[in-house]
Amino acid sequence: MLETYKKQYLYPKVQFVVITKNGKVAESDDSLFPLRRGTDITGFHPFFESILPLTDRAGEHLSYSCVHIKDRICDVDCRTFKDKDPLIVIHDLTEHYQSLQTVAQKRNETVIETEVLTLQNTYLQEKEAFKRTFIANFSHEIRNPLTGVFSFTEMLEKTQLSDEQYDLVEIIKSLCQDLNIMINDILDLSKIEVGKFFINNEIFDFNALLESINFIYSTKARQKNLQFHIHRDENIPQYIEGDRNRIKQVLANIIENAIKFTDKGQVALYVRLNNKRANKINIQFEVTDTGIGIAKEDIDDIFTSFTQVHKDSKYPGTGLGLAIVKNLVNLMEGDISAGSEPGKGTSIRFNLRLKFPLHHKPRQIKNQEEEGNILFNNRNKYNVLLIEDNKISQIIVLKILASQGSFFLDIAENGSQALDRIEETRYDLILMDIRLPDVTGYELATVIRNTPEKKYAGTPIIALSGSMMGDGKKKYKKAGISDILQKPFKEQQLLKKLKKFLK
Amino acid sequence: MTVSKKIVLLGHFGVGKTSLVRRFVENTFSDNYKVTIGVHILKKEVILPENQVNLIIWDIEGNEDISATRSSYLMGSHGFIYVFDTTRRSTFEHLEHDLDHLRNHYNNVPVTVVGNKNDLITPAHLRENRPLFKRADFFTSARTGKNVELIFEDVTKKMMS
Ligand SMILES: Nc1nc2c(ncn2[C@@H]2O[C@H](COP(=O)(O)OP(=O)(O)OP(=O)(O)O)[C@@H](O)[C@H]2O)c(=O)[nH]1
Ligand SMILES: [Mg+2]
Repeated sequence: MLETYKKQYLYPKVQFVVITKNGKVAESDDSLFPLRRGTDITGFHPFFESILPLTDRAGEHLSYSCVHIKDRICDVDCRTFKDKDPLIVIHDLTEHYQSLQTVAQKRNETVIETEVLTLQNTYLQEKEAFKRTFIANFSHEIRNPLTGVFSFTEMLEKTQLSDEQYDLVEIIKSLCQDLNIMINDILDLSKIEVGKFFINNEIFDFNALLESINFIYSTKARQKNLQFHIHRDENIPQYIEGDRNRIKQVLANIIENAIKFTDKGQVALYVRLNNKRANKINIQFEVTDTGIGIAKEDIDDIFTSFTQVHKDSKYPGTGLGLAIVKNLVNLMEGDISAGSEPGKGTSIRFNLRLKFPLHHKPRQIKNQEEEGNILFNNRNKYNVLLIEDNKISQIIVLKILASQGSFFLDIAENGSQALDRIEETRYDLILMDIRLPDVTGYELATVIRNTPEKKYAGTPIIALSGSMMGDGKKKYKKAGISDILQKPFKEQQLLKKLKKFLK
Repeated sequence: MTVSKKIVLLGHFGVGKTSLVRRFVENTFSDNYKVTIGVHILKKEVILPENQVNLIIWDIEGNEDISATRSSYLMGSHGFIYVFDTTRRSTFEHLEHDLDHLRNHYNNVPVTVVGNKNDLITPAHLRENRPLFKRADFFTSARTGKNVELIFEDVTKKMMS
């Protein structure tokens, strides 16, 4: 019985072959492979061709595992003797090795897969890191020549120019400014990404910050016939410890964006107290608009760099603004999120963990007036209309007036807008660029002076002009312009003129 | 005169040893990866100006550690083709070490070093890895067949000289 089993299960799996010294088959039991006596075993399979040279020496025992011979997988033993022909024993272990193959297959595939993945990742990460450093360095380098262009343009601006030349110079300046903003954005972002961006905490007047934001953005909103309001929780202390400039940058970016994507309705900033404990304070900011909104599937993308959800050329931009915002908020240990309904509007909400001083005596502000600086007190507010098409000049005036807290400013970009404005609002003073897209300042001043009921007969009109050449002086008197301020002007020069007329 | 020479393809698993052999012997290629276990032995004649060589090609299972390769497979070799995968760093980062191992144990056996899957990489990738890649004698693609004949020719010439 045992022998039958052995015959069935063991013998067929092992073949004994005796070969001659020069590789001819001498004897074979042919249990696995039929081998004709007297034929070259090397001709049967190349495996034997390569082991034959090794059978030269007597007393060898060569042992090979897992050799594929025809369609079997075998272990092969080869023994040489001093006085006998070499013996080859072939064990068929196909089944055993096939199961090993399955295991090896699984293992190798998994290893390669993870390897390729990690490789791709490190490769990408290295690329990304390189890109970031490159961008950081590059933007830094590009700033120098740009600053050069800007300051030489400013020098050029102060030379004797015709009004037309002056306007062209202003355009160069304004383009430089745009470029500068973009480069600063990129630089900020790459600094944040390479971890070289630091938050600079200091105690600052939170009310003043909100006031200046209010001034700037209600002016900008009114330019688009939008409303801008700030709703502020009264329990938030006046003095806060945090990075004033960065908070301002974050708010400016979000509000700017909200105004950009809103064509009618309003933009609002809500400033709420989340909680206040000891000297810690958590403030929530929310900017809502009634603009075009963002589709649900895009909402996660708005904080990603270089992504612009609205690819319409109507809304230009680099797509960096909100990416910076998110990074800045995260740096200030806050969270940011957005919600939106297409066609209805968007709201962006973030909170900041800040501190506030329990006792804070603001430094006595030096009596600037004593130092010869013009100051307006906040008790009287003046309505001022700026008629100016150049964006830079707009911003300059905006900033100067914002610092005073005594003005409402409206901006008209051309003569016809200006006439609409003066019909709606009663202005205490008008600042007017002498070269406007649709009319000259002289013509416009005459029209304003002659409005029905002589509403503006006595209102001061100050012309802003790049040049004082030729017959300018006589001409402006004749047109009813009260005074002229030469561009470019310094803050104090403008304030002095305003003070002169707004007693 | 006809001579038989044994050459062994060495290298990590999945680098394309089997594919190179199949391209060389049968001129075919498959994207499917079937892990080799043990050894497949194939034969191909190469005709050189002076002589005809029967290459007995041992396509063995891949191993991350060259010193763990069964020595019975390497015994009696006349030439080695060491293959790495240009897309997988782990297959070439210890190249120098592996070649040292071969020099120490099989001092007289010539080695041809091959970077395979050349069809998948960019010039930039080549440049980035130059320090490690510079040991390669050839860059091949079993998929396109690029340089495949050349490596076998190269190792044969080295063996015959
Ligand atoms: N694109 C490309 N793929 C290749 C090339 N050579 C091999 N491959 C693929 O790589 C995988 C592994 O190839 P194999 O030839 O089986 O690799 P091996 O070195 O024999 O692997 P082991 O037998 O496990 O040691 C397979 O999916 C092949 O299709 C090549 O030159 N180009
Ligand atoms: Mg293989």
